[in-house]
Amino acid sequence: MTDSLGQQKPVNIKAQLQACRSKEETFKALVTLSKTLPRLSAEEKIEDNKIKGCESAVWLITTETNGVRHFKADSDAKLMRGVLVAILSLVEGKTLTDIQQMDLKTELAELNLASYLTSSRSNGVLAICSQLQRT
Amino acid sequence: MAFDPSSLRPLFPILSQQAYDHPLTYLDNAATTQKPLSVLDAIQHYYRHDNANVHRGAHCLSDRATNRFEQARNTVAHFINAPEQSHIIWTKGATEAINMVAFGLEHLLEEGDEILITSLEHHANLVPWQQLAFRTGARLRVLPLTSKGDWAPEFSRYFTDRTRIFAATQISNAIGTTTPLKIMLEHAKQQGAFTLVDGAQAVAHYPIDVRTLDCDFYAFSGHKMYGPTGIGVLYGKNHALEVLMPYQTGGEMVRHVSHHATEFNVLPYRLEAGTPNIEGVIGLAAACDFLSAQDRNALLAWEHTLAEHVYSRLHKEGDIEIYSPEKCATLVSLSVPNIHILDLNAYLDSQGVAVRAGSHCAHPLMAQLGVAGTLRASFACYNTMEEANRFCDVLLEAIDLLSDE
Repeated sequence: MTDSLGQQKPVNIKAQLQACRSKEETFKALVTLSKTLPRLSAEEKIEDNKIKGCESAVWLITTETNGVRHFKADSDAKLMRGVLVAILSLVEGKTLTDIQQMDLKTELAELNLASYLTSSRSNGVLAICSQLQRT
Repeated sequence: MAFDPSSLRPLFPILSQQAYDHPLTYLDNAATTQKPLSVLDAIQHYYRHDNANVHRGAHCLSDRATNRFEQARNTVAHFINAPEQSHIIWTKGATEAINMVAFGLEHLLEEGDEILITSLEHHANLVPWQQLAFRTGARLRVLPLTSKGDWAPEFSRYFTDRTRIFAATQISNAIGTTTPLKIMLEHAKQQGAFTLVDGAQAVAHYPIDVRTLDCDFYAFSGHKMYGPTGIGVLYGKNHALEVLMPYQTGGEMVRHVSHHATEFNVLPYRLEAGTPNIEGVIGLAAACDFLSAQDRNALLAWEHTLAEHVYSRLHKEGDIEIYSPEKCATLVSLSVPNIHILDLNAYLDSQGVAVRAGSHCAHPLMAQLGVAGTLRASFACYNTMEEANRFCDVLLEAIDLLSDE
């Protein structure tokens, strides 16, 4: 089974994003991160896996083995794929209870992704967060 | 001599700010324009000196507020060359103006009647008619204009003796195409249809003459023509406004009320229930004054120059698809195959360039173009050639960064 986060370690992702000092640097870091997200197949990109409320199309697949959760996700927008890498690095391999106890919005803000959480553009990201915390 | 927008820049202090350490390049004018100081001052002056409710209190402030308010109606009537100021109805914006007509004409529609619109409409000039059709059993028909907006002889077949309403935009908000209004309105009038023109995208750019256009209704918003948000206008010919059933009732729009009956007021008040947006009206009049004080043809020529410049720079780039006309547009709407418009938009934003990425409230038009959305740079009179070039430069950088090698 391939690691759904590619080779990137969560700690590296955090460090990369926190090092960004401007919107432009965050943009470039997200583009770089986006390349590490394994793409979903056409069969996986079905309506049932689509998250409602995103400006770009986002698909999320959750599986559970031995009580911990694994995630696969994709988007038609590159930046969103970068954001997905960041979000999934926070929750991958955790139990649902642990994920539900996380304050994902604050954690994403700490990764310089606060502007992706404003209601105008990231309804999408908020929708992803609430989907991740759902049973 | 080319128009020089630098004389206008000081009137719009909001434009001289930094956005994420870059000079703000505001190219989202088709969504809303910035407001000149004269508009801000007029609103501020109203609240500082004249604030009172209109058409009621017999006191100094109310008289002054009412005078300013009705003077504004006169200013707007003059601005679009309406014959009478009672033909100017205040609304929240173009959307409310169109809804006012869609509800107001409902009592005249029968099953099988036809409402005709074009394929270039904003949702605001589509959904109210579609819903009216659902309520009445009328049929919504769509004139299949191409993205270039050319008239084809076979289009005349869409105008039938059942066409009761014809509603069309003057300029497409999504791609900037000017529609063949004159010939469409002629056909509609031959069939005795009510005609409505959505002027939301036109008023900031083109001098409007509703008498020459000769439509029954003309709708526009203040905020897209350098005025405040929350104010707009429904112009109508007298007979057309007279047949509209008021879609809101309440105070101000009545002459006499008992518990069992109400006598409605005369136009324009009959269609203006409740306390109006007085500051908006006063700000809108100031916006009309701002535009009227300019050489409108020079402004328009400049806006065309900017859009044509962007078009000519970008259409040479093989991987950019442009949906806007090459000439005589005031915006450039485009997409890049295999790059998401939201990604392009995010990079432009990170460089202080404000544009719009999306479907522009025109889903059917996007479907016709075969795209989910476009990136739109839209110009106003205060935009400079440097800004037009900056948009091109940053967009090309974005494409470079986002292309998969």
